[in-house]
Amino acid sequence: MSYLKRLYEKPLRLPRLSPYVPDPNDPAIFWFNSERDQIVDEVAQRVATAATTREGMELALNDAAIHETRRLSKQRDQEAKDSLGYWRSLARRIGRMSDDEKREALLKTTSRMSRDIAGNFDSRVYKMSQSIVPRLLTGVMRPSKLPIAVRSGARSTAVDRLLTVEGNVERLRDLQKRGTLVYVPTHSSNLDSIVLGHALEQSGLSPVIYGAGKNLFTNPIISFFMHNLGAYRVDRRVKAALYKDVLKSYSQVMIERGYHSLFFPGGTRSRSGMIENRLKLGLAGSAVNAFANNQVKGVDRRVYFVPTTINYALVLEAETLVEDWLSDEGKARYIIEDDEFSRIDRWVAFFRKLTSLEAACIIRFGEPVDAFGNFIDDEGASVTPAGSSIDPAGYVMQNGKPNRDLAREAAYTRDLGEVLLDRYKKETVLMAQNVVAHVLFRRVVERTDGIDLFARLRLRGEVSMSREELRRTVGETRDRLLEMQDRGAVRVSPFVADATPDTLIDRSLRVWSGYHSRVAARDLGVEVTAEDPTLLLYYQNRLVPFAEDVAGAESIAAAREIGAMGVRR
Amino acid sequence: MKVGVVGGGGFGRGIAMASARQDHDVRLHGRSARTIEGVRWTSSLGDLADRDLIFMAVPSHLCPELSFELGKHLDGRHMLVHVSRGLVGDDLQTLSQVLRQKTPCRRVGALAGPLDADALAEGKPAGVIVGSRFPEVAAAVRSAIGGPALRIYESRDVLGVEIASAMVGLLALALGYGSEYQAGPSATAVLLTRGIAEATRVMTSLGGKAETMTGLAGFGDLIAVASGDDRPEIRLGRALASGMSIEDAGREAGAHIEGVSIAKRVSRFAERVRIEAPIANAIASVLSGELAPGDAITELMARRVGKE
Repeated sequence: MSYLKRLYEKPLRLPRLSPYVPDPNDPAIFWFNSERDQIVDEVAQRVATAATTREGMELALNDAAIHETRRLSKQRDQEAKDSLGYWRSLARRIGRMSDDEKREALLKTTSRMSRDIAGNFDSRVYKMSQSIVPRLLTGVMRPSKLPIAVRSGARSTAVDRLLTVEGNVERLRDLQKRGTLVYVPTHSSNLDSIVLGHALEQSGLSPVIYGAGKNLFTNPIISFFMHNLGAYRVDRRVKAALYKDVLKSYSQVMIERGYHSLFFPGGTRSRSGMIENRLKLGLAGSAVNAFANNQVKGVDRRVYFVPTTINYALVLEAETLVEDWLSDEGKARYIIEDDEFSRIDRWVAFFRKLTSLEAACIIRFGEPVDAFGNFIDDEGASVTPAGSSIDPAGYVMQNGKPNRDLAREAAYTRDLGEVLLDRYKKETVLMAQNVVAHVLFRRVVERTDGIDLFARLRLRGEVSMSREELRRTVGETRDRLLEMQDRGAVRVSPFVADATPDTLIDRSLRVWSGYHSRVAARDLGVEVTAEDPTLLLYYQNRLVPFAEDVAGAESIAAAREIGAMGVRR
Repeated sequence: MKVGVVGGGGFGRGIAMASARQDHDVRLHGRSARTIEGVRWTSSLGDLADRDLIFMAVPSHLCPELSFELGKHLDGRHMLVHVSRGLVGDDLQTLSQVLRQKTPCRRVGALAGPLDADALAEGKPAGVIVGSRFPEVAAAVRSAIGGPALRIYESRDVLGVEIASAMVGLLALALGYGSEYQAGPSATAVLLTRGIAEATRVMTSLGGKAETMTGLAGFGDLIAVASGDDRPEIRLGRALASGMSIEDAGREAGAHIEGVSIAKRVSRFAERVRIEAPIANAIASVLSGELAPGDAITELMARRVGKE
């Protein structure tokens, strides 16, 4: 087996000669390595002891053995060589095991899983990444400047210009000392966790732990950084129920212990480009459970959810994602292995394109909420709709005492999910590309009344808009969005707010040409053509929830049709 | 258990009586003092702060403001259950959503189904459904008002329960309307069956589950309507069909009726999200005067007939 393969299976760690002693003021993550074994054991114990009856234990073991045997026999890689034997032998023995043996086998299994998931945190790697990552990214963008950037140790890099952080940064700096922050961003690109990690560092916010798909660990360099910066590994191929329990329990134990966390409630990257309108709430549930569990243990550690939006002018994997959304197999394909993210030439092209832009990515840290969807006051207490402060402990009480109730916590989590969806809409920052794509795509819809989406997407380059009309409509749309921003209904980027409609159009056209393999819209002087409705659809999908609000009376029918794409059915 | 009731109308009094019969400590908030055995009356919402479970038994249009006021005295420990049939605003918000938005309470639920205030008050055999995402809310309602004669079913699909309940109100209005035009059993069956299909479309596009429509909150309640329970929506439909103005018809039917503005809002919502809602459209047109009372039936009958 090649060395690189080995790295994939077991990420590299730096040896340490003397134990690292964190500073008392360091965030919890700096203590992680000293707690790591304890955490792994606690997680394994909790999940293994959750099944108490003989039938429960047998079911959990059988389910794990069947799913793992099936997966590994298909996989035929090193992991299969190492583990297939274990599962096959387990599957054969379950029926004959005594209750004690079952208990033992369960614990062994959950320990294996928990160890595989747990990350590592190396403060040296953290410090290194603080200075190296932005410089390397700068290097990718401007190779000629690389030697200077690395030598000078310059902190202001091209990345910092490309990335704008807005929102409640000051408050989060304070809140992270008062409780555990759980960042829950929208998800549109594999770059999200890297960019967000950088944004946290740049804003003076503590690093976070997060689960990263095992497929991201295939690149040894990224794998090294992610693994040593606290990322835990999530193998989406593993279907065993036990594994999912271990994952949730890992997240819960970490939040209970005060580790600031990050997860993407959308589950996977938004294939359509739409703002999330459906969430997978397993990990959010682990945070709600963590709060309740701490209350029962007498630990008053607050949990603060931070709805965050990550908004790109250009999305690295846009073409693959939207194709996946439109194709039927999209529903079945959960892990995309072969998108632009895995191709280094696409990265280079992507960053080259971005260097011509200011603020190509805007990260907005939204208004934090507690585990029950309430806003937070300056002291970290929960605020009621009428503006008074309450203790969130009341939510997990029954007959005056805190208690655990999984069904209740699951219901809270669903409610919280609805609050997050609403916050995402309000905290989304619309970029010029979203606005221009929307105006053009709405024109396509207007001109093709009565035909379905797929027929529309085949109309490449057949619908145009005169420059004059495009300018006027982009201007009107922007003005309506600004009014909506005043009401707190959505955000627009500073560029959208300030630039002339012509500049917005030109910038969008420039960003679209040259990076994606197809051109979204083409400038023909007196008119602009909707060259590729599919890409336009992707970029305009961010506006789906606002389509009706930004439309003038003459476009309302088309706007409704666009709006209806976001309705759950 | 300490039970609170907001609203001194028929339903509020019925719930208070049913709860007092189960020997709970009951406090009723209403505008004018009432003497009910075993129930203490109060005019101050703050007096409900020590309650475990509070029923909101007020018309839906009063619910947002009143729950906001009530919410000032509550926190995460309280459970809130409403009994209104309405949906609020152009987005057809359900009242459990309103309660969550206007108060700090999250453990909320809705009481619906073929329940009438008299049966509650007198303890006659009846059945209801309580919709809540929280099993403990359903359990609390059972303990508060359940008795030997009241069967209380539960559903996790609180949204579905509320929408079903509101849509049945709308269909009751349509039924009253049709009865004035001598709609026979066949026409009634068509109206209600297609009504259920229409209600289900509205339900699913608002995030409710289609199955909920076939339960006690949907079908169950509709059967009560068709079996001739005399509810205000039916009286309103009859009054409208006879050509009365909305104001006169409302007076004739008594009480505040949720059906009047719901028809219009459902119709607009359906247009916006592109689903078909012919019955709501027809009622809305009659209410707004665009359609003469007699023409609604003709219009519905003239629709293209298709597959079910």
